[in-house]
Amino acid sequence: MLGIIGKILISASFVTSLAAMIFYFISANRDQKSTLRIGNWLFAAKAAFLVAASGILVYLIFQHQFQYYYVFNYTSLDLAPRYLWSAFYGGQEGSFMLWILFTAFFGFGLMKWTRKPYKAPVLFFLTLTQVFLLSMLLGWDIFGLKLGASPFRTIAQEMPNAPFLQANPDFIPNDGSGLNDLLKSPWMMIHPPILFIGFSMMTIPYCFAMAALWKQKYNEWIGPALPWTLSANVSLLTAIFLGGYWAYVTLSFGGYWAWDPVENASLVPWLIGTAGIHTMIIQRKSSVAQKSSILFAILAYVAVVYETFLTRSGILGSSSVHSFVDLGLYNQLLAFMVVVTGVGLGLFFWRYKEMPSPEKEAKILSREFMTVTGAMLLLILGLVIILGTSSPILGKLFVENPTPPEMSFYNDWSMPIVMIMAIFTVLGQYLFWKKYDAESLASALINPLLVTSLVTIVSIIVGDVRNLYYMVYLFCGYFAVFGNAWVLARLTIKNPKVIGGSLTHIGFGLLLVGILASSAYNSALVDQKTANYNVAVEQGEITDEQGFKVTQKEEMLLLNMDEPVIVDNRYAVTYEGYELDNTIRRGQQTYRIKFEPIDGGKTFYMNPEVYPMLTTSTAENIQWSVDPDVRTGLLSDIYLYVGGSSYVQEQNDQTQENREMMQNASAQDTISAEEPNVQKMNLNPGQTADVGKFKIRFVNYARTDSSELPPNTTIGVRAEVELIHPASNRVITLEPLFAVYSQDGQSYIYSPPARVPDFDLEFQFTEINPQENSIELTITGLEEEYEPEWVLIVADEKPFISVVWLGTFILMAGFSISIFRHWGREKQKNAE
Amino acid sequence: MKPKLIIGIVAIVGFTSLLMYNFGESISTYTTFEGASEMSSAHIPGTWDADKGAEFSLETKKFIFYMKDEDGVSKKVVYPKPKPNNFEQADQLVVIGEMKGDTFYANEMLMKCPSKYNDADPSQFSEAAQG
Repeated sequence: MLGIIGKILISASFVTSLAAMIFYFISANRDQKSTLRIGNWLFAAKAAFLVAASGILVYLIFQHQFQYYYVFNYTSLDLAPRYLWSAFYGGQEGSFMLWILFTAFFGFGLMKWTRKPYKAPVLFFLTLTQVFLLSMLLGWDIFGLKLGASPFRTIAQEMPNAPFLQANPDFIPNDGSGLNDLLKSPWMMIHPPILFIGFSMMTIPYCFAMAALWKQKYNEWIGPALPWTLSANVSLLTAIFLGGYWAYVTLSFGGYWAWDPVENASLVPWLIGTAGIHTMIIQRKSSVAQKSSILFAILAYVAVVYETFLTRSGILGSSSVHSFVDLGLYNQLLAFMVVVTGVGLGLFFWRYKEMPSPEKEAKILSREFMTVTGAMLLLILGLVIILGTSSPILGKLFVENPTPPEMSFYNDWSMPIVMIMAIFTVLGQYLFWKKYDAESLASALINPLLVTSLVTIVSIIVGDVRNLYYMVYLFCGYFAVFGNAWVLARLTIKNPKVIGGSLTHIGFGLLLVGILASSAYNSALVDQKTANYNVAVEQGEITDEQGFKVTQKEEMLLLNMDEPVIVDNRYAVTYEGYELDNTIRRGQQTYRIKFEPIDGGKTFYMNPEVYPMLTTSTAENIQWSVDPDVRTGLLSDIYLYVGGSSYVQEQNDQTQENREMMQNASAQDTISAEEPNVQKMNLNPGQTADVGKFKIRFVNYARTDSSELPPNTTIGVRAEVELIHPASNRVITLEPLFAVYSQDGQSYIYSPPARVPDFDLEFQFTEINPQENSIELTITGLEEEYEPEWVLIVADEKPFISVVWLGTFILMAGFSISIFRHWGREKQKNAE
Repeated sequence: MKPKLIIGIVAIVGFTSLLMYNFGESISTYTTFEGASEMSSAHIPGTWDADKGAEFSLETKKFIFYMKDEDGVSKKVVYPKPKPNNFEQADQLVVIGEMKGDTFYANEMLMKCPSKYNDADPSQFSEAAQG
């Protein structure tokens, strides 16, 4: 019932959106106030319907209404409330909803703050995008033509042909299939909303640029559009950072960036949006670059829509590690993209001739030239990345069935581009605030160049940089840092409000240095023997049995429990065991790896985790997932995850046995179980025996007269025995019973087994020796062969990741300062 | 025409052709074990040959399994990292690396896991219903 209401609400939202769009169009066309007001009311109604529909979806999720496919597919009963919230936008349908909600919300901001003549056309274009996005959620079926995928469809609608539904159409699952364990992370809770805030805000410069073209007013739109674009940028940057950080600390690919299509999908709009910010700033200052500002504003949103198309249409199929759900929205997404691009670029070229062009060409050493060139470089970088991401489509020009490009494609092209950018940031910042000619600029740059050279040389020596290209790259990065720092210092004295730009560029420089250090100088932590082997592999000295050259290095470390291994000549690394914990995730192991610096630094522990993926594991097949541990340091991070352990191995063997037993049971085939191992031992009170991987301590024994004893018992003794498993720090206390009772004149011994299901052991108290004050224990199932506990770890040292984060934070801070500056000016204008 | 315009056009054309050439070089086509013999970095999609097992060897620290490519040919694959999460569950694997003799040395491996959406498993539902 609620689902039907939800569906109706979304349809109502779509229809009112469409109507609002028409009224905005009329209003924009005729400069009418009355139609604008009607449009606003319709827009508000649309937003209200959508809020109500979202409320219903949230309610269904919190009420665990598993007959709804969306609720079933992304949640489960045991999901914590905070993750129930994030399940709202965990799937495609919900994330579309969130995106539309944010855009609608910003629509009200535009209604309030936008001035004539842009108001009506801006709202028209904003509503146009809303109509398209809402159409993705309709779930209409018009004569077999499917329009959108509704978040409110039921399981029966989702799988009409499933046999279990045909047998029982009212079937409701008792529990949902749950949220992917990897997404149960606080970072993943806040990442999507911030990303969609960024996408929503990126719509606004597009709308302003289109309004400017429509109304043929090419300058005034910059004022209101600039703070929106800057805010969109900060949001996207934050989202990119959160996504990268999540990937780094949660996934086991060992980095924060992999040029994956999903990552590129937020990077490219950010790059083009940043290009737009540059031209908007210079247009405001010097009244140039009107065309570029409009073009970049259009392209930034086109990039958002194009990347949405790539990631959500299923076209990327096998080129990403992310699994993309294909909702059958291909045609709708394509139409959205074609309209946004076609209308945008169409109007742009239609008006091209009449847009103002510069009367004379700018000198090279001018802020206009520098800023526009910087923007062009950003655009080129964006286009290169789009080209790489589009390989499933554009690669067909070269080969059939194309693979994604190698990572080196992205790296090789982005490195020289960002190096030129880095130089231009300094020249641009100097020229932005003061006029220079070649000679005076050169002399002004002497000091920053000296510092840059010095720091570069020191870095090369300390970091043992041998690659010439990297040396030049480092120089460029440092030049951006110190050159802009000089400008920053000067501006801070004069007018601290305007430091946004130079601060941003310092962040950019730091980011470049950090990226190189953390990715090119990443080193695997291995023991000496493996390190020697790897050197030999590198020099091509190792061949395998068949005479082929071995090219694969070993980058793992096998640690036996309590046996320290010297790693990288710096640490003694010891595996000290694991902790089983069921409170966070069922079956989770937390491993204790001790790092002792050889030169006497402070000892520290790293605690990587392994846990079974609950959504996909069964009793016959456990899917293990790892959670790396990262030790963050100022100079370098240690990143470490568990690739396997004796515990995991045992569990797998156990499930393998279960599986075989089940198969055999179904085949009605009984196999004789192996003879279990039986062992007897004598222990005095307080004595501890080492057996295999256990310690067995006999604490004491005491007479007992409990009701569990058989009738006519003459003696009843209960022993207290501790079974200690040092590897997992577990102490299991057992109280096996020993009793002598008489029946029909004869004495019998009664010693029921005490079971230890965790280790598949049975303890029996089988004898008392009063003379020696000892007892005899009979233990069934204990392996005598001592197999040491081991863990296999993959550990990396990543230098200067902290600099990557620092650079990112400074970028964010710089952009934020600019937002305040430009927004403050806008507010003043609005007040007038 | 103005010389500047010509230089600009030449620069754009030059840049674009270089970019496209390099792009064309850096992508390859998905292939099979047979087609991989001449390639240094081949992408081969296939499925795990479960009958022949999969094992991580603690001695050599390599994960070894057999994969069937799209022609149905099954070959030994050596992967120098621990067994990836979801390995058994993946309905498609893509191994990236090179063929040496009869063995494929994968430097990278991607797993495509079945989307819950496309093939909902009825057993999952009945289990849930009992639970």
